[in-house]
Amino acid sequence: MSTILRAVSQLFRREQDAPSHVAAKAGSSLALADPVEIAPNDPLVAYFQSSVGAVDIDILSLDSPGLQALRGAGIKLVVPLVSQGELIGLLNLGVRLSDQDYSSDDRRLLENLAGHVAPAVQVAQLVRRQEAEARRRERFEQELRVAQIIQQSFLPRESPNLPGWRIAAHYGPAREVGGDFYDFIPLDDGRLGLVIGDVTDKGVPAALVMSATRSILRAAARGSSSPGDVLRRANELLCPDIPRNMFATCLFAVLDPFTGRLGYANAGHNLPYMRTSSGVLELRATGMPLGLMPGMAYEEREIVIGSGDSVLFHSDGLAEAHNGAGDMFGFPRLMGIVGGCAPGTDVINVLMAEMTGFVGGGREQEDDVTLVTLAREAAAETSSARDVGNEVLAAFTVASKPGNERIAIDRVAASVQPLDLSTGRLERLKTAVGEAAMNAMEHGNHYQPELPVSIRVRASRTQVSVEVTDHGGDQEIQEPQAPDLDAKLAGEQSPRGWGFLLMKSMVDDVRRTSDGKLHTIELVLHRGGDDDA
Amino acid sequence: MPESRIAMNVRKPNPTTSVIDIEGEVNAGGELILMGAYNEAVSDGASAVVLNFGGLEYMNSGGIGLLVTLLIRAQRQGQRLLAFGLNDHYRQIFELTRLDEAIRIFDGEASALGDVP
Repeated sequence: MSTILRAVSQLFRREQDAPSHVAAKAGSSLALADPVEIAPNDPLVAYFQSSVGAVDIDILSLDSPGLQALRGAGIKLVVPLVSQGELIGLLNLGVRLSDQDYSSDDRRLLENLAGHVAPAVQVAQLVRRQEAEARRRERFEQELRVAQIIQQSFLPRESPNLPGWRIAAHYGPAREVGGDFYDFIPLDDGRLGLVIGDVTDKGVPAALVMSATRSILRAAARGSSSPGDVLRRANELLCPDIPRNMFATCLFAVLDPFTGRLGYANAGHNLPYMRTSSGVLELRATGMPLGLMPGMAYEEREIVIGSGDSVLFHSDGLAEAHNGAGDMFGFPRLMGIVGGCAPGTDVINVLMAEMTGFVGGGREQEDDVTLVTLAREAAAETSSARDVGNEVLAAFTVASKPGNERIAIDRVAASVQPLDLSTGRLERLKTAVGEAAMNAMEHGNHYQPELPVSIRVRASRTQVSVEVTDHGGDQEIQEPQAPDLDAKLAGEQSPRGWGFLLMKSMVDDVRRTSDGKLHTIELVLHRGGDDDA
Repeated sequence: MPESRIAMNVRKPNPTTSVIDIEGEVNAGGELILMGAYNEAVSDGASAVVLNFGGLEYMNSGGIGLLVTLLIRAQRQGQRLLAFGLNDHYRQIFELTRLDEAIRIFDGEASALGDVP
């Protein structure tokens, strides 16, 4: 209110410069009066608001600092500017040029003028307020866009493709982006790290802390195989740098896709739900959120996800969604829905439909909603007729990273140990597996670490079979040029290119199949017979 | 390039022949180390270099390619390559690739050294 009064009072003359009439001789001796500050709680404000017409300052009797200030500034007459019942300014006039009192004509003219000025000033004030509001909103929208870009550039573009598993994720940001995140981290030994978390706060600060937390977890996950240890190390790294009053809840799990073992530790995040044929379990493990205080320990637990079982990881956004009546979706409802899903159901689709139905259409989503599901296919979905009479000795994946064929070799060698192969046969199998795995990582998966190579070892009474599967099923299968040492020494062939010859010569049969997506090389080695075969 | 867990030691038992003791993995990632060892082996004018595979743990097709590259270089420089210490499995691979025709294989160091005049 005081600023409004001041702005309007600047329309008028300074008495000491020249006694003046507001309507006369504009231009030559016009001067601005000093702004007069009138506090919003000054009784003068209420008086002006209710007064009708021009007010003589000299005859006014009121205990008011504003009145003192007006008199001090030489103001003789005040015409309140009132529009739609609101006092929006004052016309302040000093002594008349002629030194005579203001006449009733003067007053009528001024009151008439005030009647026109007041609505115009009110409109101008409104426009100015709207412009300021628009600028504020534009800044807010800009910050939202930045937060969204940061957030979404750090979320995985696709879910990992592990044979025998269905992994899916849904991330639905609220308009005012929250700090949700999730991540998949392929580990060197073929296991898969999985992260879901939520940073306190919203907008750019949350997005920045989320990206730092994600990087720290990635580094920690590659340095340790224990989920509890990964969270402990992430907490130590995050504590010194995280802004005060911010922290991140986070669940970290490591899946062995072959055994179905899921090790996990929890830094204060929502408990995941595991759906099995006998009901729904909460996967509990205790631990403080990341970034609150150093020196924390994190409990580590392990479960086995059986065929047909699935696990749901989720952020607050779903369970804490409200409907129009103010009721919360709630954890019991969420758990009940998960329990009601048959194996093979797309749990994420079901949950999102339930949430929309509960919240009601047209309501803005309150918080980010993040859901990740890990479902192990039922045995019937994976077994094929060829498995009959074949015992699966091992099935695992390795990340496509130079040198990882050694991991494949060692695991295949360990899995065939009970077969008691001769040293020569075992060495040949190992070399063939190494070449097939290198070929799959390099040519099939182009060394993209998120594309694993899947390996399955089976044995019957007469033979061992190792299937090595990569993601190069869309590539044309072509037999490579047979390497020739003389041609290589003469510079007519590259010195390289020995892989396929080695692979083929080491085992009794090599079969290649391709389904447009996946490409498999099956190495077959007879268990008995001539060792130099 | 994969990292290579490889170590090489160069010995010069006589003026005409050097020995490179190979420990660990021979794969495509070992190129710099092998070529460095070979430079050292022939720096004093040796005309033959003996590769000691007694410490070999693993060799793959990338390693075979590397030996072919080395062989091309040795032939260009007029030097002979010999080898010993290969186990049965890698000996078989040398035969399969016909590397054994270009790099003569011996049972031990003494017989390899004895083959160089």
